Amino acid sequence: MSIKEGKTEMETDVALIMDIKAGNKKALGKLVERHKKLAYRLALGLVGNKDDAHDISQEAFLRVYRSSKTYDAGQPFLPWFYTIISNLCRTWLKRRSRRENKMVDVDDASFLLVDTANPESVMVKKETIACLQRALTELGFEDREIITLQHFRGMSYDEIATVLSIPRGTVMSRLYYARKKLARLMGKHDG
Amino acid sequence: MVENNSKDYRALLAGYVDGELSDEERRDFERELARNEQLRDELGEFKKLKEVTGMVRYADLPDEVWENYWQNLYRKMERGFGWIFLSLGAIILLSFGAYEALSQLFTDPTVPLWTKLGIGTAGLGVVIMLVSLVRERLFAYNRDRYKEVNK
Repeated sequence: MSIKEGKTEMETDVALIMDIKAGNKKALGKLVERHKKLAYRLALGLVGNKDDAHDISQEAFLRVYRSSKTYDAGQPFLPWFYTIISNLCRTWLKRRSRRENKMVDVDDASFLLVDTANPESVMVKKETIACLQRALTELGFEDREIITLQHFRGMSYDEIATVLSIPRGTVMSRLYYARKKLARLMGKHDG
Repeated sequence: MVENNSKDYRALLAGYVDGELSDEERRDFERELARNEQLRDELGEFKKLKEVTGMVRYADLPDEVWENYWQNLYRKMERGFGWIFLSLGAIILLSFGAYEALSQLFTDPTVPLWTKLGIGTAGLGVVIMLVSLVRERLFAYNRDRYKEVNK
């Protein structure tokens, strides 16, 4: 599902949370169906590993269920939900960093080529993508976060601003600095 | 002048690459672009980066994972409740067992006084440490702004 929310979708999410608050597990099931892929993809962008992203997305819904009583019905659902996912990813990465002395562990299968029609260019593209993956692992959390939301989730600046609860101008400046770092890191790995 | 202004145009550069600028912002940016070589270099760099990230997408999970997603989540929830009840039961049983054992120990006249005193003091130490730990956790919880989402 796209993150682009119309008013009706926002109202539906809030209504579902209110039902969850009242102990309705079916409402949680509906919320899961609406946002499971979004949750997984956001987590994948932040932790870079499919299995971890799947586990984190499931844990995020458990937190929604447990924390539904503290949810403010006047606020939109997605920024709240994104904060849960983002915090889980941070905790996950910190644990992995302590355990394995590395932050992000991008598995080779986490990225897929969009266009594989031309076999000759596939090899070149694969090398470039390997370089991109390595560079992404070295980015800081906040830089990877904004790159993921814009480049890989295709969110508009307004959507990113809503989800991250930051002004639109900050989205632009954060993207500028994150891209500069990513380009520098890619240059390092390329050369 | 170009250098002084270039910092203001950096954020606009991101918006320009992504087609997120208003008409006025875009015209302003393009005027600056025409006279600022550094900005043109950065624009080329960002376009190339966008091309590279456009070549890939994140891999999705197999269909069967999505089909069983809710069932797996529901089972996790059930197990969570199971663990809560199991833990509560274990705490009740252990507390009762400890109470019974200590009652018998302290009322048994054959156990030497020094043994009772040693066990009693060690027990008191454990209780103080537990209280301190709970108090610390409560203090941290009350000061945690993300407590509703990060616990």
